[in-house]
Formats: sequence, C-alpha cells, structure tokens
Amino acid sequence: MLGSRLLENFDSALLPYAVAAVFLAFGVAYRYMVWVSAPGARRLFNQGWRSFFSVANFRKAPTALPRMIATYLGFQKFLGARSHARWAAHQLIFWGCVLAALITFPLTWGWFTFTSGTGSGPGYEMRIWGFKIIGFDSLDVLGWLMFHGLDIAAVLVIPGASYFLWRRMKDRGAITGQRFAYDLVPLIALIVISVTGLLLTFSSVFLHGGGYEFLAVLHMVSVVFTLIYIPFGKFFHIVQRPAAVGMQLFKYTARQDREVFACRRCEEPIDTGPYVDNLRATMRDLSLGFDEWAEYCPRCKRVLRGSAYLSQVKKGFK
Amino acid sequence: MMGRTIFIDPGRCIGCQACVSACRECDSHRGKSMIHLDYTDEGRSVASLPTVCMHCEDPVAPCAEVCPADAILVTADGVVQQADTTRCIGCANCVNACPFGVPKIDLQAKLQMKCNLCYDRTAYGLAPMCATVCPTGALFYGTVEELQAERPGVQVADIFSFGRSEVRTGVAMVVPADRMQWPVPGGLPVVEINGKDVRR
Amino acid sequence: MTADPRAADPRTAVPLDPSLAPPGTRAFRDAGGIPADRWRADQDGETLVPTHCCFCGVQCGMYLRVDRGGKVFGVEPRNHDINRMRLCPKGINAYQQVNHPDRLTAPLMRRSRDEEFREVSWDDALDFTVAEIRRIQQSHGNDAFGLLGGASLFSEKTYLVGKFARVALKSRHVDYNGRLCMVSAAGANKLAFGIDRAGNPFSDILLTDCLLIAGSNVGECFPVMTQYVWGARDRGASLIVVDPRETAIARTADIHVALKPGTDSAFFNSVLHVVVEEGLTDEAYLAAHATGWEEVKAKVAEYPPYRAAEICGIPVEQITQVARAFARAPKAMAWHARGIEHHSQGVENCLSVINLCTATGHIGRPGAGYGTITGQGNGQGGREHGQKSDLLPGGRSIMNEEHRRQICEIWGIEESELPPAGTSMMEMVWQMQRREIRGLIGICNNPFVSLPNYRVVKEGYDATEFHAQFDFFLSETAANAHVVFPVTTWAEDEGVMANAEARVVKHNKAQDPPPGVRTDTWVMCELARRLGAGDKFAFPDSRAVFDELRIASAGTVNDYYGITYERLEETGGIAWPCPTTDHPGTPRLFEDGRTYHPDGKIHLQVVEWHPPMDPYDDEHPMSLTTGRTVAHFLSGNQTRRLGALVEQTPRPWAELHPSHGFHNGEPVRVVTRRGSEVFPALVTEAIRPDTVFIPYHWPVPTAANALTIDALDPRSKIPEYKVCACRIEHADKIDDVPAPPVAPGQVSYPEPQIARTDPLPPTAPQGRGTSERS
Repeated sequence: MLGSRLLENFDSALLPYAVAAVFLAFGVAYRYMVWVSAPGARRLFNQGWRSFFSVANFRKAPTALPRMIATYLGFQKFLGARSHARWAAHQLIFWGCVLAALITFPLTWGWFTFTSGTGSGPGYEMRIWGFKIIGFDSLDVLGWLMFHGLDIAAVLVIPGASYFLWRRMKDRGAITGQRFAYDLVPLIALIVISVTGLLLTFSSVFLHGGGYEFLAVLHMVSVVFTLIYIPFGKFFHIVQRPAAVGMQLFKYTARQDREVFACRRCEEPIDTGPYVDNLRATMRDLSLGFDEWAEYCPRCKRVLRGSAYLSQVKKGFK
Repeated sequence: MMGRTIFIDPGRCIGCQACVSACRECDSHRGKSMIHLDYTDEGRSVASLPTVCMHCEDPVAPCAEVCPADAILVTADGVVQQADTTRCIGCANCVNACPFGVPKIDLQAKLQMKCNLCYDRTAYGLAPMCATVCPTGALFYGTVEELQAERPGVQVADIFSFGRSEVRTGVAMVVPADRMQWPVPGGLPVVEINGKDVRR
Repeated sequence: MTADPRAADPRTAVPLDPSLAPPGTRAFRDAGGIPADRWRADQDGETLVPTHCCFCGVQCGMYLRVDRGGKVFGVEPRNHDINRMRLCPKGINAYQQVNHPDRLTAPLMRRSRDEEFREVSWDDALDFTVAEIRRIQQSHGNDAFGLLGGASLFSEKTYLVGKFARVALKSRHVDYNGRLCMVSAAGANKLAFGIDRAGNPFSDILLTDCLLIAGSNVGECFPVMTQYVWGARDRGASLIVVDPRETAIARTADIHVALKPGTDSAFFNSVLHVVVEEGLTDEAYLAAHATGWEEVKAKVAEYPPYRAAEICGIPVEQITQVARAFARAPKAMAWHARGIEHHSQGVENCLSVINLCTATGHIGRPGAGYGTITGQGNGQGGREHGQKSDLLPGGRSIMNEEHRRQICEIWGIEESELPPAGTSMMEMVWQMQRREIRGLIGICNNPFVSLPNYRVVKEGYDATEFHAQFDFFLSETAANAHVVFPVTTWAEDEGVMANAEARVVKHNKAQDPPPGVRTDTWVMCELARRLGAGDKFAFPDSRAVFDELRIASAGTVNDYYGITYERLEETGGIAWPCPTTDHPGTPRLFEDGRTYHPDGKIHLQVVEWHPPMDPYDDEHPMSLTTGRTVAHFLSGNQTRRLGALVEQTPRPWAELHPSHGFHNGEPVRVVTRRGSEVFPALVTEAIRPDTVFIPYHWPVPTAANALTIDALDPRSKIPEYKVCACRIEHADKIDDVPAPPVAPGQVSYPEPQIARTDPLPPTAPQGRGTSERS
C-alpha cells in the first residue's frame, strides 16, 4: 500500500499475483515461526544472531560475513563439491529466480512503473516509488534488457530446471526416496512458469497476441501456485538457507577464539566448544538423556560400544 | 514389531570390510561408503564391529530431532533417511548427537550423508548391499524368524542403554538367548579411557 | 578443551569455512580407483553378465554390470550356490581392474635392460621374441629356454602353457606359480589317495560336528568360506584352529592351538598319538581301507604330548583336547592351507593331517573328510593339465611311458619329441642364475614379489639373455623384462576354473578387450605359429582349447570329458571326475571307500618331524612367518592399484607381541640371513611372542620375500615361506612402499596411491578401520 503510493501505481491485472504474495508472506511467516521454535533451530538461530550482532566479532573480521554470504548464498560453492553440473544448473535457476523476483514483486506492488512521455514509447522512464530513476529508449540495448528481464530470467531457469528434471529421471541416487510433490513439482512449476512467460512474449511479438489470454492465465496460475507452495515444500530451503551462514558465523567466532573441543578419549577435535555446549543444551531440551556422549567423537562412541558388547554381551561367536 | 531389518552380530564379524566396499557400490550413493568398520579391541585381538544406521525408533531418530533444518526425514516404514540435499546446512548436529556414531558429513559439500538402509534396494525387497555380501552373516537382513531358522537358538535385542537412557532401534543386535531381556550396553557411562578411570 | 592444532599459530587466520568434524566423519574414504565423478549410476539400462571372481580358490559367483557401451562398470552379488551372494572386498573391487588406466594396451619392448621400454607393434614384439627363442635354443639347446605359467589363468590357458612348452618350445623347463602354493597338498594327496583334490565339497562343512582348520586364515584369505565355518558352528559343530596367530576365526574358536611355526607335523603326530592311546581310532576303517597303519602307529608313539608340547610351544592339555574333540566327533573334517604346506616338510605336514583323518575314520562321508583350500582362483585346475614340470594333461605323469604315449598321440607328435620332466620354479631360477636357462617367458606370475629370497630371484632374472612376460598390468617382474605382452583380464575372455572343491566353473566374457590387447591364447598360438608349430595350435578361442582338453583328460583320474561349456552354464559348476556328458560329477570322493590307487586303499605315510631349514641361533632367535591380508591378493599387482583396497591396507607391517617393548607404529627392523627391512610395528597380543608376521603382497624394499628362505620341500619343491629365523631391532626410518610400475607415458590415477605413503601400520591385520586417518 505504502510503496505503491496508496494504490495509485497499482496494476489491477496483477491482482492475483498480489494476493498470492500476501499468502506467501503469511505462509512464510507461519512456517518460519514453527521452524525456529524447534529446539535445534531455535538455539542455532539465537547463536547465529548473537554472532551477527557481536561488535567484537565485526571488529575482528569485518569481511567475514559478507564473504560468507557471497560464497554460501550467492555463488553456493558448496554445491560445486557435490557436483559441478548441479552447481551450474542451480546457479542458473538461482540467478534466474533472483532476477525474476526483483522484477516481479516491485511490479506487482507498483513499486516500479514504466512511463512514457509519448504514451507508447519508444522513450520510457523507469520510476521507483514514483521517482524517475532512468530514462531509456525501448529500442536500444538497455531498453531491450529492461523490457525483457523476465524473458532473460526464463532463459536462465529453463535449462537449469530441465537439467535437474532430467537428473531426477536418470540418476539412481536422486531417484532413491524421491517424492513427486516434493522433488518434481517444484521443477515442473519453474519450467511451466518460464515457458509460459516466454510464450507470452512470443505471442505478443510474433503472433500479435494470439493465445495471449490463455497463456496469461496459465502463467498466472502457475506463478500463484508456486508462490503459495514456497513455505510448504522444497522451496522453503530458500528461506532456510541463510541459517547456514548463521551456523558458520557461530563456529567462525569460536574458532577465532580457538575454542576447539577435543574428544575426551582420542583427543581429536570434534568441533568448537560453544558448538558442543549448544548441541548438548539442544539434546537436553529434547530430553535426549545421553548428551554427555557428545563429548566423544563418533569413532570412540562406536569403539566404546563395541568394547562394551565384547565384555558384557559376548566375546566371541557364542 | 521388527519386520525385515538388519541384524548385527559382531561375534561373527571377521573385519574383512566387504560391507565397506559393497556400500560404495550401492546405486543411491555410488563411490561413497556409509558403513563404519572399527577394530574395537586394537592391540589385543582382531575383533571388529560393523556399524550401519540403527534407525532409532524411540526416541525417533535423535539425528532428525536435533537437526536445525528439518533435513532428516523418517519414512513411514521407519527408515531414517539421509539428509535432504536442499535443506542440510552441514552443521554436524546429527553427527555428534547420534549415540551410535553413524552420520558422516562432507564438509566441502555442506552435506550430511548416512546409511539409509539401501532404500533403493530394500524398497523393492532386495537386501541392502552390505548384508547381501557379508561373508559371515555378521550383517543379516531379514526377519527374526528367518534369522532363527538359520541360527537356531539366537535372540535379538533392539534396546540399547546409554547411561540412564534407553534407545530402541529399528536395526537389532544378535545376543545370546539368556541376555535377551536386557538392553545392549551402548558404551555409556564411560568407565575408563586409555586405562585411566574417568568416573567422576 | 584443547587448542585446535590447526589454529595453534595465532598468525594463521581461521578459514572462511570454519567447519571441523571428528575423525571418520569428515571425508569419504573414496574408492579412489575411479575418480568420483565417474561413480554415477544412471538409469540407462545395463546387462548383468554371470561369472565368477578372478581371485581366490573359493570362486564366488558374481555378476559384472555392463553398460550400454559394452564396458564393465560395476558388480552385483549373484546367488551362486558356492557363495550365496556373498563377496569379499577383493571380489567387490575386482571389476575395477577391467577398465583401469594402468592397463597395458600395447606390447612393450627393449633390446637390453639398460634401455627404456617403448611401445611396438604386435608383429615386432612377436618377431623379436621368436628370434630370441631361436637364437638361444640354437646355441644352447632347447632346454635353455624356459616357460613359467600361472594358476590364475583359465584351465584352457594352463593347458596351452604346458603344450606350448613341450610342443612349440620343445623344452623340458616349464613350471608355474602353483609351485609356490598348492604342490605340497597335491603331493600328499597323490601319495595318500592317488587323486589330487579336496575330498569333500564346501557344503559338507555345514554337516560336520568338528571342524579342524590348520594353517589357514580363512577369515582373510577365503573370507566367503567363513559362512560355511560359521554355518557349521550354528549347527553345533566345534571349531579347532591351528595357527600361530589369533586370526579372525581363531579368535572365537573352541580350541585355538597357537603353535610355533614349523612344528605342525609334531603336533599332528602327537594328536594321533593321543588318539591311539585313548583307543579312539577307527580300527575297522583302517583295516578295510588303509595300508601302512602299523608303521604310522609306531612312529606317532614317539610323539607323546609332553614332547610335542615342547616342540610346538603349546600347553600339553591342548593336544589331548584336540585329539578327543576330533576323534570323538561323529563326523569331523580337517581343512588346511598354506600354513602347513609352505614348509620344507609341507608334504609331510599334509600327510600327518591325512593320517589323523584316516585313523579316526573321518573320510568320504557327508560332513566327514579332508580338504585343502587352494589359494589361487584356478589353483586346482591350474595344476591338472600339464603346466607343472612333471605332469601332462589329465594329471598324467611325464615320467610314465604309457601316459607319454597317450599324450603324444593326442598332440600328434613323436614320443621322442616330448621332453622329459623339468625342474620346479625356484630351481629354474637357480638354473637361470647358473645360466643353464638363458631365456624365459613368464605368463601370469610375478616372481619378484612372490618367490622367496628376492636377491637370488633378481640375480636369476637379470642373468637371462631374454625375458618376456604376459600381463595386463606392468608387474614388478614385467618391468624387468625385455618384452611385455598386454593380455586380457578374466572379464574379457571365457574359460573355466576349478575351485578348491574341484568344482569346474565357467567364467564368461563381459566386455571386449581394449584396443591393442590380445588373449593369452592368441599370443601363445601366434608364437607357436611363428615357431613352426602352427598346426598344433590352431585354436581360435578358449572353447576350441577346452574341447581338446576334454579329450586329453578323458579316461584319466582328472576326467573332464563329460564337462562342456553348455553343461557348466546350465548347472553352475561340475566337480571332476566327470567321464561322460550325462555324469553328474563327483562332489565328494571316496564315498565307496575306494581311493584312486590301484588297490583302492589310502596309503598312509610315516611322518617324522624335523626343524625348519633356517636354524635358530642367538642372532636369529625368532620365527618370521608370512601370509596374506584380506585386501590384497598374492603379489598385489592387481590389488595394489585398486583404491578401495589400498585405502584398506596401504602398506605391509611387522606384527609382533607387546613383550618386545615396541609401541604401535614404531619402526622395527626385521633381520634374517637374507636381508633386513624396516616396517612399522603392529603390536598385538594376537601373535606368539616368538613369532613375527609380515604380509607378502608388496615389492622390495617392503617385501616379506626379501627376507624369506629359498629352502624347498624335497618332494613338492615348495619354498619354506612360513618359517625362517629372524631377529627384530629398533630402527630410525620405515621403508617406503614403492608405487606399482606403469608403462612409460602412462598416467595412473593418483588417488589410489595417496594412502600408500601412510607410515603407520593398519589398525588390525585386516586393515585400517574406516575412521582411521580420514
């Protein structure tokens, strides 16, 4: 309401999108609350923000957080370690979706407007919240890019999502435990959105609007569906992933203070001290009564269990 | 209660690591072995212990409970899956909370991985790779009845004690018949470490 | 809470990724042999080719997974009745050899050992080889050129090795690496029973009441056979293990006799002594089915338990316990392997076990009998068809006039052309040292790792004027040759092998050989053709060779006539003798109480124990014994290149008792009269205090066989690998394990070799735990 200057810039054709976005906001908020109220997430959430707001931390390593955000959330280097192809495909989808979101949401809420002094171009002005930001000619390169931003996003998303879909048909590792609603629906939704979006452009440019109505409805339905689906399916990872940065920052802080916790038996490092304390507290929250076990590394746990079996259950064959 | 599952008998294990190599051949995670094989009596005997995921039933999967990203899913048939690749943030909570020391973590990939009972095989009625190839039957896949038909007089136990807590698992241990009603010791409380008494 | 070693230096910044993880969780001990990105499994469709494992004598069935491009890419368990889907780590990783980057794909050649190898055409390599054979034989006689075969070859190829030596080379000097493996048992079996094979199938183990395993680390060397051992125990059988080390099966055995290496026959004589004393012999069986019992009885009377206990270094009571357990059991079985065979009295050790089984009547019944476990895949089949210096196809003797005549008729040669018996493998090396043998072709063997006393072996091979080797990886021996012929792996050709039960099984071809690689059959036939014997070697494939082998074995004890490829495919294996195509085979011998001697009796032989050939003295007070570990096979030329197996057991070690004051991983120099080497100590209570164990799969300077003695059993000519005198010393630096050789210009995967430089011993003899140092 505010951003659109009391609906003055609101485009009523985009109403369903706006409604979906409202649902999305409530859905995400609700899911987020449920998520962070579980002990594991809550404790890590608190620790992450504590590290984030720590002035001492910022002084010691002012660049750590931006670098973490860039590597984990932007370039997602960890995906490269899983597979280069999956990293490339995910980057295509990621940047495509980021671009699309940057265009769609402001347009939906009327934060961006494109106005033309002559009414129908080719000279346009882009306005954000009503203020002119840039003027351009829709026929030059910049203009083309501005008007076809969503098409570019679609072109990025389609190959990425198609690769994942193909992989889900073929790779036995991916197929194992795969669920249609969780694993395939999001990919299909992305592809439908992108393809219908591209077809809308195709229709207006080459078919003089032939089939435009139908395509627009299909496009709208798929987008609305996807937005509503975000909090409840695979796309929720978009909301969750920043927790990785919080977790990293929490461990990073402790590592800077050289608080490394070593296994009580073999003295090999397990993780940072605050992390182990945090985990033990989480386990106590969950009434898992073996939290002191967290002070031993997994190998020692197994060896101790094996020795206990040998000495207390049976030593040999019988 | 127990359906088809893995029964572990460390007394039969010869420590050959066939399970370790076989796990690597499993199509759902080719090239990566999830099973652990530890020589638990180093310096004294060649005793060994294979460890697959025990698929805890009560409490349901401590690994999943401590996961901050809800990444570990438990299927309707009680199989605790490995972390969902899209959700796992690589925090290692599951690695250090698991009382059996099962999950592994790929630090570069920020991804936990663990035994999922060869879900690609067991979902179709095949035995998991490790239990299929195990030359000794230290890892046995089937029902209790099938196990007892092959090994007259054995019993199985699916409850482990960790100090005062007990954990009931989907995967069970073979125990002598007279020990059936007791929980299998899980190693806690730790009495001594490297020859030193650590009871506080 | 301790300081993180990696953050100990305040100047080192914390990495942006601060994650730590405990040992064993943070990395996957990757199989290495194949780069991680090639490990995908795609839903592309695949073919499962039924075959058997290429490694040990159990011959487990397996499927090789072949992709749509016709390449082997994986393995799938096969429900064959030998192994019932079980596989050991070697078997699971075996397929990785097939498309391994270390494979030889072009003949290598050089005119002198000073030169580097260069890749040449097949014609150049074959012509040069034939020219050298001609030159050596013309100037020094036919016998100056020798041939050494191997027992991992298909039976067809072992048949060809024997025929090639006698018909194409016309040399008496042919032998094979089963000489290092099976010959003591073979000799004892022939002497006692007139037939050379195990008496009972594996499945009989499940029926027995008492199982005696002597000198066999079943859990590591024949892992899949363990299911039969455990199966017997599940049904109530007791288990007796005779081994100086507490191996995986000995750990839980009812009786573990940890005797001193080299004292087996004293022990078994004494057990028989107690059996006689306590009246537990089966006199009726002995009277009906055995000869020589009185002499044996008189001899074992000289071995009362107190004497044997002193010789063997074991408690006196154990001897009585073993005697009672074995003799009183309604059905008892004895199985043995290299532990009692690798001795200067290997044949006699085996005979002392046969004496015990016969005297207690435990022969030729379901669940009662005697067997030897062959170490190589075709350890049984490889010794039957004429690649042994004194044998002709069908187990015929080359000294027997009638047998010679029969074979000459089948081969179409004059009897005068058939050379006489040759010498054994180790003796041939001594002859090479003396320049009596000046040229050599080796097929499927790696004596630089597998023969004892490496110094002598190297000298012998270096003294040859010409040496050619067939292999699919460049072995340490091949790397010292003049010509190396790249040949197929087991998955690229078809053929039969006979396992430890004498069950003949068929291996199927799973993929075409890589370009440039030929079958051993093709190379031998091509060499024969160029030597002018082409008409006797017109074999297009294994099947043609097998048909001739069937005919050549017809009517003999080792009768294969009734076995055809089709029948093998239908049945999953047939145990010889199988004289006709409707004969079901003979899984169990002596069921009618008759042996294969003309009189049908078991010929008991008197055995007198004597100390090992390498005497103990103050300088060398301890026993060195050698053996295998589960992750590696024989000379390691195959397994030392497969990442998973190198990861499991990267290097050899010296296993010793804590009483010597060494701590785990400390360098320990093991000194014998032949040399000394430094290994990391694996300190464990599971070995006798007077004994040191070293696994033998690695080349110098980490070769157990640089230390072992080249003393031979006078009858079987098996070297005494299992005992020699040694001492141990503290040392500064552990000897490094060399990388396996590769052809010039070839690039190997580096991944499998990373673990090789680990200076520590494995956690246990079976290897490193999965969490160690990862």
